[in-house]
Amino acid sequence: MSTNISQNPAERLRDAGLYAPGEAVLSVRDLNVRFNSENGVVHAVRGVDFDLMPGKTLGIVGESGSGKSVTSMAIMGLLPETADITGSVRYKGKELLGLSDKAMCKHRGSDIAMVFQDPLSSLTPVYTVGTQIIEALTVHNPNMGKQAKEARAVELLRMVGIPSPKDRLKAFPHEFSGGMRQRVMIAIAIANDPRVLIADEPTTALDVTIQAQVLEVLHTAQEETGAAVVMITHDLGVVAGMADDIMVMYAGKPVETGTVEDIYYNPRMPYTLGLLGAVPRVDTATKQSLVPIEGTPPNLALPVNGCSFAARCPMVSDACLHGEPELVSVPGSEAQTLGHKAACIKSDELSGNADAHKIFHAPPKPVSKFDGVERLEREKVLELKDVKKHFPLLKGALIKRRIGTVKAVDGLSFDIREGECVSIVGESGCGKTTTLLEIMEFHPDQVGEVVIGGVSNKVATDHKTKMAMRKEMQMVFQDPTGALDPRFTVYEVLAEPLENLGMPKAAVKKRIMELMKLVGLQPDHVNRFPNQFSGGQRQRIGIARALAVNPKLVVLDEPVSALDVSVQAGVINLLDKLRAELGLSYLMVAHDLSVVRHISDRVAVMYLGKIVETGDVDDVFDNPRHPYTRALLSAIPVPDPELERTRERIILQGDLPSPLDAPKGCNFATRCPVFAALPAAKQEKCLTLEPPLAPEKEGTQDFACFFPDGELDADMLVVHA
Amino acid sequence: MLKYLLKRSGIYLIMIFLTTSAGYFLAVSSLKPAVLEQEKIPRPTPEQVAASFRGLGLDPDKNAWERYVEWLGGIVTRWDWGRSPNGAYVNAEFADRVLVSTRLFIASIILTLIIGVALGVYSAARQYKFQDRVITSYSYLVHILPAPIAYFLVQLGAISINETVGERIFFVTGISTPGIDPGWPAFVDLVAHYAVPTFAMTIFGWAGYQIAQRQYLLDNVNADFVRTARAKGLTRNQAIRKHALRVSFIPVAQSIAFTIPAIFTGGFFAEAIFAWPGIGLWSIQSIGLQDVNVATATLAYGSVIFAIGAILADFATTLVDPRVRVQ
Repeated sequence: MSTNISQNPAERLRDAGLYAPGEAVLSVRDLNVRFNSENGVVHAVRGVDFDLMPGKTLGIVGESGSGKSVTSMAIMGLLPETADITGSVRYKGKELLGLSDKAMCKHRGSDIAMVFQDPLSSLTPVYTVGTQIIEALTVHNPNMGKQAKEARAVELLRMVGIPSPKDRLKAFPHEFSGGMRQRVMIAIAIANDPRVLIADEPTTALDVTIQAQVLEVLHTAQEETGAAVVMITHDLGVVAGMADDIMVMYAGKPVETGTVEDIYYNPRMPYTLGLLGAVPRVDTATKQSLVPIEGTPPNLALPVNGCSFAARCPMVSDACLHGEPELVSVPGSEAQTLGHKAACIKSDELSGNADAHKIFHAPPKPVSKFDGVERLEREKVLELKDVKKHFPLLKGALIKRRIGTVKAVDGLSFDIREGECVSIVGESGCGKTTTLLEIMEFHPDQVGEVVIGGVSNKVATDHKTKMAMRKEMQMVFQDPTGALDPRFTVYEVLAEPLENLGMPKAAVKKRIMELMKLVGLQPDHVNRFPNQFSGGQRQRIGIARALAVNPKLVVLDEPVSALDVSVQAGVINLLDKLRAELGLSYLMVAHDLSVVRHISDRVAVMYLGKIVETGDVDDVFDNPRHPYTRALLSAIPVPDPELERTRERIILQGDLPSPLDAPKGCNFATRCPVFAALPAAKQEKCLTLEPPLAPEKEGTQDFACFFPDGELDADMLVVHA
Repeated sequence: MLKYLLKRSGIYLIMIFLTTSAGYFLAVSSLKPAVLEQEKIPRPTPEQVAASFRGLGLDPDKNAWERYVEWLGGIVTRWDWGRSPNGAYVNAEFADRVLVSTRLFIASIILTLIIGVALGVYSAARQYKFQDRVITSYSYLVHILPAPIAYFLVQLGAISINETVGERIFFVTGISTPGIDPGWPAFVDLVAHYAVPTFAMTIFGWAGYQIAQRQYLLDNVNADFVRTARAKGLTRNQAIRKHALRVSFIPVAQSIAFTIPAIFTGGFFAEAIFAWPGIGLWSIQSIGLQDVNVATATLAYGSVIFAIGAILADFATTLVDPRVRVQ
């Protein structure tokens, strides 16, 4: 309606005002944002329309660069002055675009408030949190008394779930954990009872258990204030349970809008369909490949001809390349502003039960030669026996005193067999990365034994054995950009490990061409530098480098966490394929449990340096026995609105405790939902004895808990009705 | 806080002792005053020179360690920093020299800091606008201009003012006019002597602070916490003033530690050009005169000033940054 090209902009804006539903708190029409850059004008947001009703939640979903954050900043008036913003943003009918910074300040923080992505850097480090909350009150209520403001600040901190709020007012941001700081941010945002709350990726930087807590706080905040929420995220799971309506953005434009049910159960735009298929599910065991969306989003410094998604769309036809499709109502949906709309000329073809896997030509699930072999009959490629890494905690300037020990890894034993993928999961600080470093260290002085390909670290002291071991095991790193030398061409990156082994030049060249094909890159791109590749391609280069020397075991440290959802699927599929074709074993560390479930055969859940549950991935995920595993799994949002709204979730209280005050008995007792509900007599057992890691009956997973079937504490259970 | 400062002072005292001792050994083994005595007319015999030096406690026949023990003993027991080859007591001249230097530099140190930081903030708030370009270009220009030339230009300017007015308003060299009446005339005389060097050192001194403050503030202007402050409802300027400024001052506060001692001990150009015989000039001269005790004393003074600067910086940092406050 408002994106009708035939009208001139002035008419469209006038219409926008007329047609906007009267009761909408926020109406955005034809919002366009252009930035001047060295590469020309970047058209970052290209015509966004939406209406936000009071008390409702709108989810804006898109990948990085889709314009979702720029949209929110434009609404807040926080873009740099050099940005060219056109269109209309109305708050309760009042135009906000074009207001001066000073005039806009009346609305910011009182009518419209915002929660930002990174809680670590979003609070001023030199002021107490109390000062920062009170500042938000002072700006909009100059006549409010000092005591009233302080009382309100305490009330706000209590509302967002910060214990002993009165004392914490005087604390500085660095004395809070990331999750706590995000709570403070929410407290600041809701201080003046805003009508609109914009949350820009509020939980992206947080651990899953903390994410669940913060989402819960946001939910409470919305209930308390009755504000309408704009939730911006790349994670389809996060918004599934919270949002009423969804807007999917791609290349600066909304490509599909509708209610959550419309979007999740009846997507009418191939991009939406692809996104939904690209996310692995934590709650199902279906072992099929993910839907890969090939290619990258268009460069918005260039004019867009035709559909912006055409280059990546499997359903593309000639008609798609001429004229960008409008966002039009999907037949069958009510013709109203919030009806289901899609910007695709083929949306009809997608009606009913369109299968993303078929449309996007998802590869079949690869089968490895080891898949048929019983696990115990396969050879061990890696074995850890009671590996420990304790760091002394020192104090003092000149003379150091030992005041304690951080048990980063505390007695870890597991093994990896040929052709399987073992994943280690847990919150940050649980010792996942230290475990990897201990394996890579491979030194006789380590506490505990590491056996790689039959060679033990206790025996391997000479250089030659170590080199042989390195050939057996290679590593893929989290950040593909940081892990590749920007001054090396791809050829040099891949040649380095081969030359190290003393391979002749001709053989090196042949091997590099093989590797490029293997990871799905064009062999003639070998002379390019890493910055000429996209993030997904760079990670493929990282994988090729790891595979260069034909290792048996590849260690994957968060291999896809730096990638966008649509790109992530391609890399996961590649890893799956390589494992089957080359008979590789993987040791993966990941915080995304859905990815873990999709790719792993076995999983080990770590908590404070110890494995608390381990076993086959389906056993552990479908029937978790340890309360921590249960909480961890329950914290993962599932991209299914129906399920998300009704399921019961465990919200753990507090953060991962400092390894310094690790409890004597069970490490998890301080946060355990089962422990909290136990009678005192049984609690005593948890506090004094350390539960052993053992299976309940033969053939199932090992877990370390005395009361796996105990009742859960009611305070930690939440159901959204 | 007090305990923390005391602890730091203790550490700096040890440091001062070590640098001064090392300086003494270096001086005693490389400076040979006897060589200069040979240029006197009538030329003294080596025995005469040795005898006169022995009387001054500069016995060339003793080894470095013996002389060090003797020198250190003098300081510890009598607070006597020894004598120059010409017989003058280091202690007698030292206090005067320190006073001259302090008087010369103190005003410009304070002015430089205040003006430099203020201009840094001003130019950062107007990044790439005309005012910023003028201020920042000026700072870079000053950076490449050698101090003697810069001071000389100021002297020429002061002289031309005197000539235009037709009366001597400013003195371009010297500390005071001998034989001036105390009271008001003495004060006018002081200001007339004081104005030119202070002006010169200030306008050529703030560049470092201005550039640093501008840079650190710009680093913080677009920080996430400034955005948060704006999202609360503060205007951009309020958010910068209240949130970015204090954070950006932390590294500037730390740099003060290293600029104050540099001005005091490296200010010999100013002392020489404006003819204020202060401690910086003394230290350079002492090396020319092969004067072991003066060279060491000025070095010790430099270390003390450095320690004071460092403690000031620690203090300023703890004041603005709660993260380094000691529990």
